[in-house]
Amino acid sequence: MKNLGTNYKITWCPGCPNHMILESSKRAFNNLIKEGHKKENFVIVAGIGCHGKIFDYLNLSGFYGLHGRALATGFGIKIGNPNLKVVCYAGDGDTYSEGMEHFIHACRNNSDMTLIVHDNQSFSLTTGQITPTSQIGFKSKIEPNGNEIHPLNPVKLALVAGASFVARCDARNIEHTAKILKQAIEHKGFAFVEILQTCIIFNPSLDHAREYMYQTENNSNMTRAMKLADEWDYATRAGRIPIGVLYKHTRQTFEEKHDVLVKMMNKKVGWKKYAKK
Amino acid sequence: MIISILIGGQAGQGINKVSKIISGIVAKRGYYTFNYRDYPSLIRGGHNFNILTVSNERINSYSHKIDFILALDTETLKIHKDKLTHNCEILNFQSFVGLGRNTNIALAGALTKLLGIEKQDLLDEIKKEFGTKEAEHAAEKGYDGQGKLVKYHLKKLNNKINILDGSEGVAIGAINSGINVYFAYPMTPATAVMNYLARKVLVIQPESEIAVVNNALGASFAGAKVMIGTSGGGFDLMTEGLSLQGITELPLVVYLASRPGPSTGVPTYSAQSDLNIALRAGHGEFPRVVIAPGDPTECIEKTNEAFYLAEKFKCLSIILSDKHLAEGEYGNDSKANKSIKLNVTRKVPGEELVKTSSYEHDKFGNTTEDPAIVKKNNEARLLKYKKIKKEVKKFEMIKIHGKKNSKNLIIGFGSTKGVILDAIKGLDYKFLQVLYLMPMSSKIKKEIEDAKTVVIVENNLTGQLGRLIREKTGIEIKNKILKYDGRPFLADELRKELLKW
Repeated sequence: MKNLGTNYKITWCPGCPNHMILESSKRAFNNLIKEGHKKENFVIVAGIGCHGKIFDYLNLSGFYGLHGRALATGFGIKIGNPNLKVVCYAGDGDTYSEGMEHFIHACRNNSDMTLIVHDNQSFSLTTGQITPTSQIGFKSKIEPNGNEIHPLNPVKLALVAGASFVARCDARNIEHTAKILKQAIEHKGFAFVEILQTCIIFNPSLDHAREYMYQTENNSNMTRAMKLADEWDYATRAGRIPIGVLYKHTRQTFEEKHDVLVKMMNKKVGWKKYAKK
Repeated sequence: MIISILIGGQAGQGINKVSKIISGIVAKRGYYTFNYRDYPSLIRGGHNFNILTVSNERINSYSHKIDFILALDTETLKIHKDKLTHNCEILNFQSFVGLGRNTNIALAGALTKLLGIEKQDLLDEIKKEFGTKEAEHAAEKGYDGQGKLVKYHLKKLNNKINILDGSEGVAIGAINSGINVYFAYPMTPATAVMNYLARKVLVIQPESEIAVVNNALGASFAGAKVMIGTSGGGFDLMTEGLSLQGITELPLVVYLASRPGPSTGVPTYSAQSDLNIALRAGHGEFPRVVIAPGDPTECIEKTNEAFYLAEKFKCLSIILSDKHLAEGEYGNDSKANKSIKLNVTRKVPGEELVKTSSYEHDKFGNTTEDPAIVKKNNEARLLKYKKIKKEVKKFEMIKIHGKKNSKNLIIGFGSTKGVILDAIKGLDYKFLQVLYLMPMSSKIKKEIEDAKTVVIVENNLTGQLGRLIREKTGIEIKNKILKYDGRPFLADELRKELLKW
């Protein structure tokens, strides 16, 4: 169980970038623990899909939730104990299809938690259907002529919806991703990290795009953030792909708006201890 | 003695205020009250009416016969002309010009006079309710300004009456149980609980009922005592989350206040048509408790029991109500039993490493497909239900009312309690009220077997309680009195039906 790992057999495909996201996550958590964060205070939440398996591979408290609902569960955990560091793992189909309502409202609410999306632009555990970020022309069993539906740009959507921390990472760049994940978890407010990865089985098209990726400096200007978000076109795959913290600013969190939750944060307790008579 | 008062007008004219003032005054004098609220789904205009019934004996329903009509607009008298029997007294808004939005208070004042109540009692109530000079002026104008004869002399009685609706009962029950957070999305007729609780505890209104149930399970996982509330459509959306409760075994209390369906149905009216979904919603097989209180006092008690069972067995507890109980205002002298106090004792994150999962999982919370564990977990869920069945025996799962040795048995659940009690007054009937729908009391079978005539009364189309009893006892109850026009039973109407058997 060293290094936050578990004895659980890893069942991702060999070579899947999910292995790298797991490694980046471990590095981020380990660095935070080294800096004094209590391991017991981390809670991971996962949706359903290939990404969700990470739940079994990280030796942290957690809630393996429903497809699309990781954010809804994570938000509830924060209400149950605002001192917990909640990190939600979710997929692109998970978040942008079934769980879209929670994504937009999480950006609005600015609850102090983190969302990490493993965006491989396909439903892979169900063997390769299109998701809202699949490129135009992506061929799947149910789209034999190729996807014709315009994908959405989740980075831009998060910015418009009010997310206070928006980042994009390259799954294969472990060191950079670890650094960004750490910043996301440390951010006070809702932090959204879109990790671009390929599905090596069903949608490997993104691999060639890695050469267009470049690291940006941390940015806190909304106009620049929107420009950065527009650089890469999810539909045509044209343009350069900025990775890094595309936008960050601080505003009041959801928990800070409720007196009782503030009291719990000051006392460093959850409801269990706070409510005990 | 029973006095029925119909107060009608447009939404926004202050009909509820009138029934509140009158019931406040008469309750203080020791009279029992029941206030029925009838309104369409709109905010201003339309036609709303309340029927406030006042009695010197316990009253839990209303009837067709009306003694007073308080009309806040001309439509009221047209719509309710069938109720204008020769004894019915009309108090019309047209008698009180120039009072604007306080016309309702004047009508309440006029009625107070006709009931033979001193002016000071009226003014005290108005002061408490409004605290403005304009309101007092309107009340006095109403009291003094009409030439009708005093019809009643409501002497003071020795009863201590407390007015509660079912929603407040549920809210009090939740507070007595130490609720920490209530999650809900607004939906009639469940919203009132949300409104009551928001004054006392943390209430969160997220983006949807799907969010509600997942939020609640997250908070429960983190150690909070939670409850969620909704009506039929919202409950449908929560279904997947109920199943998630089944596998994660996190305490969850759900308040389901039903209304006529299918779908959006008749949103501001009443039906008992959601018993089936309360019993069965959610895929897979897992234990649950379904309790249907029949009046506000039982709402307090049974909500507390629902919390107790959810916490003790880490199970799903559903409190089943409907619009009629949720919004019916009962002026009664009954007192709720002492509530059970409970603390959260389960392991929570932040204190130690805890994992839970929507997948079948081993004792560490790790995903498993191992047939031996799958089998074991299923059996553990079944065993849990057996334990719940044993535990609930200490609570009132059924109640017997009416003539205890009668061979004529009437069976009902939930909001029909009140009207059944009133309808069987003086008749040779025993009334079996079912409070626990799941688990169900084993005594029901014997009660049915011992009776000569058995009649089931339900506010739905297909007799869902009857089918449940048949499932549990093997006995089919053929005599059914079912009402499914979106309206609750009226006492005289039900009595007439019962006399047919």
